[in-house]
Amino acid sequence: MTTLVEVPQSLDDRSFEQFAATFAAAPGGSRVLIDAHACEWASPFGLVGLLCAGQALTERGAKPLLTAPADRDVAHYWARAGFFRQAEDLFEIHGTVPRVKPPPETNVLLEVTPVRVAGDVHTIVDRIQERAAAILTAALGLEAKATVGFGMALSEACQNIVEHAGTGGWVAVHAYTWRRRLGRRVVVIAVADAGVGFRQTLEATQAAGFGDRWGDGRALEAAFIHGVSRFRDPGRGQGLRGIRRWLDRWDGKMSIRSGTARIAMVPPWDDDVVLKEGLPMFPGAQLQILVPAATPEAQ
Amino acid sequence: MISEIDVRAVLSRSVCEFHSDLVTRPTGRAVRGGIEAHLEEHPDVTMVVLDFSAVRVLDCSCADEVIAQLLLRHASGDAPRPAYFQVRGLHETHAEQIDDVLRRRGLALVAAERGGAARLLGSFTDLMRTAWERLAAHGSAAAEELASELAWSLEDARRALDELAGRRLVIRSHERYLPLPAA
Repeated sequence: MTTLVEVPQSLDDRSFEQFAATFAAAPGGSRVLIDAHACEWASPFGLVGLLCAGQALTERGAKPLLTAPADRDVAHYWARAGFFRQAEDLFEIHGTVPRVKPPPETNVLLEVTPVRVAGDVHTIVDRIQERAAAILTAALGLEAKATVGFGMALSEACQNIVEHAGTGGWVAVHAYTWRRRLGRRVVVIAVADAGVGFRQTLEATQAAGFGDRWGDGRALEAAFIHGVSRFRDPGRGQGLRGIRRWLDRWDGKMSIRSGTARIAMVPPWDDDVVLKEGLPMFPGAQLQILVPAATPEAQ
Repeated sequence: MISEIDVRAVLSRSVCEFHSDLVTRPTGRAVRGGIEAHLEEHPDVTMVVLDFSAVRVLDCSCADEVIAQLLLRHASGDAPRPAYFQVRGLHETHAEQIDDVLRRRGLALVAAERGGAARLLGSFTDLMRTAWERLAAHGSAAAEELASELAWSLEDARRALDELAGRRLVIRSHERYLPLPAA
C-alpha cells in the first residue's frame, strides 16, 4: 500500500503544518509518496523540511517516492537550490528533474547543503560569508556590521545539528522578496534535521524537574528562552541566545519546530505566536532565521 | 615579557590555513591548544595579547572554547603559571560574543575593539569598573588615592582593586595597582 502525502502549493514554515499533518497520519508500514507535482513555490524551510521527511521515512525502511514539481520553472528553481542533489539519496524521484549548471540562482545564497560534522560548518560559513555581506548591505540596506553576526548565527544554527541531532541535517540560505507577509526583501536561513529533537536531547537533564508537564514545548522553552543545554557546563547553550540577540538588533525573526511544538521569537512586524503545542508529530528539529531589509526610515 | 598572538595565524596552523572564521567548538579547542602550546614554548611570557584583527567571524561556541576556557584554566591554577590576558582587534560583534560567554562564567577580560579604547568585558561590579577606568585613564594608584579621588570608603577602594588584581585585570605591585600595558 502507498500513502499519498501532498505538498502544499506554497510550502513555507506556516503551510508546513499542513504537510506535517498528512505526514504524521501516514500508516507506519506503508510506502509513502510525497507528491510535490502541484507545488508552485517552496521556501528554504520547505525544501530542507522535505528532506527531513525523506530521511525519516528512509530510516523506517521503505525508500519513499517523490514526484517533482510539474512546473518547469519551479523544478528548475529546486534544482538550482540544490534540492534534488540531496533528495536523490533519500527518495525514488518521479517526474522531470532538470539538470542545471552554474551559475547558480542569484536568490540562492547557499544551496541545500548537508551538515554532518563541525568541518561542514566551517565550509558553509566560509562559502557564504562574502555573498551574504553583499546581500545584507546592498540589497537589505543593513549596516556592514550585520554581516559578522550573520556568520555567527549561521554557524550556531548548524552546530545544533552537529552537537544534538544525533544524525546529519541540511542548511539552505535564500534571499527573496516576501510580498504577502512583509512586503520587503528578506534573507532566510533554514536548518533542519530528522534527528532526536529537543525533547529527547534535554530529557536526561531536564525532564525530572518538569514532571508531567515535560514535553516538546517545555524542551523548546528551556533551550530557546533559558539557554539550557544537555551539558551541565554553564558555557554551553549559548548559541541560540547569541542568534536571538543578533536578530533582535536587526528586527529579525527566528522559529524552531521540534516534535509537536514550535517556538518563535516574534518581531513587531509579525503576527506569529510565541509557542504552539499539539502540532502534528514531525521528527527532529527545523529552525528558521529570517532577516528583513531595513525599513526606508531605518536606512 | 609580553607576547602578542595573532589568533588568525593560530587558526591557520591549528585547523586550516585558509580559514578566517573562528567557528565551532572543535576549532575553538584546537586554537586554545595552539595558544597554550605557544605559552609552554615561551615560559618567560607573563602577559598575553590575543589579536583578533584578522578574524572574520567569531561564534559563541568558539568564544567560549578559546577565551573563557583559557581564562578558566588560568584562574583555576591548572595552567603551569599565572598569566595576564588581553584581547584586541575585536569587531563589535566579536566583543558581544566574548562579553556574553564571560558573563555566563563569571569571568572578565580587558579588551579593545578595532579602533577603540580598551574596556572591560564580562562579569564585574560597578565599583570594579569605575576603579579599572580610573587606572586605565590616569595610571597607577594606591587604594588610599582611589578612595580619596572617588569619595569611596577605603574598604570599598581596596576591595575593588584587590578583586581586579585577583582576576588579573590590573597588576598589583606592593601597595599600588597598575593598569595592564596598552594592548
